[in-house]
Amino acid sequence: MEEVSVRTLVASLAFLAGIVFGATAQKTHFCTMGAISDVVVMEDFRRFRSWLLAIAVGMVVSQAMWATGLVDLDASIYRTANLGWAGAIIGGLMFGFGMTLAGGCGNKALVRIGGGNLKSAVVFMVVGITAYMTLRGLIALARIELEGATNVNLGMPQGLDAILGAVTGIPSAALRLVLTAAAAGAILWWCFKDEAFRTSTKDVVAGVVIGLMVPTGWYITGVVGNDEFEPTPLFSFTFIAPIGESLQYLMTFTGASINFGIATVGGVITGSFLMAVATGTFRVEAFTGARDMIGNLSGAVLMGAGGVLALGCTIGQGLTGLSTLAVGSVLAFLSILAGGFYGIKYQEEGSFGGALRAALTRG
Amino acid sequence: MSTETTERQILDVKGLNCPQPLLKAKKALQGVPVGGLLEVYATDPGARDDFASFCRSTGQELVEQKEEGGAYVFLLRRKK
Repeated sequence: MEEVSVRTLVASLAFLAGIVFGATAQKTHFCTMGAISDVVVMEDFRRFRSWLLAIAVGMVVSQAMWATGLVDLDASIYRTANLGWAGAIIGGLMFGFGMTLAGGCGNKALVRIGGGNLKSAVVFMVVGITAYMTLRGLIALARIELEGATNVNLGMPQGLDAILGAVTGIPSAALRLVLTAAAAGAILWWCFKDEAFRTSTKDVVAGVVIGLMVPTGWYITGVVGNDEFEPTPLFSFTFIAPIGESLQYLMTFTGASINFGIATVGGVITGSFLMAVATGTFRVEAFTGARDMIGNLSGAVLMGAGGVLALGCTIGQGLTGLSTLAVGSVLAFLSILAGGFYGIKYQEEGSFGGALRAALTRG
Repeated sequence: MSTETTERQILDVKGLNCPQPLLKAKKALQGVPVGGLLEVYATDPGARDDFASFCRSTGQELVEQKEEGGAYVFLLRRKK
């Protein structure tokens, strides 16, 4: 019997994991942009708590995998010594703002495609092109200039544990334990003290399931993909660069090879589609006019460029990156929140100045 | 004192995706007299959850919710 290559195995498992992710998001309406919007528009924190619960779950299980030696998260891109703080902040702000114009983040675009939304198919293409332009194309020139001018080499992994460890002399491994317990503990306390969240089954389930996707990714690439002849880069769920890579993969298939990210993109769309059909919510949606189109296209450009600049999106940095305790992930996550908050305010107030005023007086 | 009427204002947000449907409904509701009705037509898959949450969180009444001609129809009554 022919042996299945590690690459094929990793891609297949990634595809399956993507299906779970997509189906869950479609069914529970898990949405990072929705989380921010719910808070701003109607002071409903349930979906935000769901996102935070996912962060806590992802962090605890990922760190447990690291502590037990299953994977070494220092090998992930999030913990690189080269701290791209400017990209994290600028990219995060761009991404956060853009996602409010495009109906949601990169992952949500995939979920929407599965649900029949043609607008999101266009968003997908624009995100993909813009992301790839920022990775390797025209926009990469600006990105490289920015990184060259502002990146800081820390001389150690950019983990909060490593940095605190260097300052205090306490071993990083011990600090990781403390930081994870503190962060996850605080999150779990804050999430579950709220009765509305506690009793919202779909939000709790979404948080747990999607949170578990992160260590699943580490396992697929870091354990299953651990082949001495063809080692798989340590990777977990993130969507902007993979959307770009998926487009390129479709276009250069005869000479290209699949990877974890590309497989998850396909999986999420598939999972969402299956769930949409199963629940009877599949519905074709299209642009309503110029305004709708301008919003979605602008949002897509901002997400594509911003997501690459920030080394990740609401899932890539806001979930996977945070699970590694990387400083850049914290910066990106907070910037995405700020950009998203401002984006919703902008749409509510109708102007940039009005939104700024509204955001600052909110208190 | 609120007087409940059967007169309704119509808001069509079909084809728009979040956060637009809620933002527009929130704004439209401000133009509805207390006790008055707002009928919203939407197609975003998240609309059902969104409008239920909106009414719950802001104290407005979701009088009726149905599907009609491929769209969700929400009848909201302004309570405050």
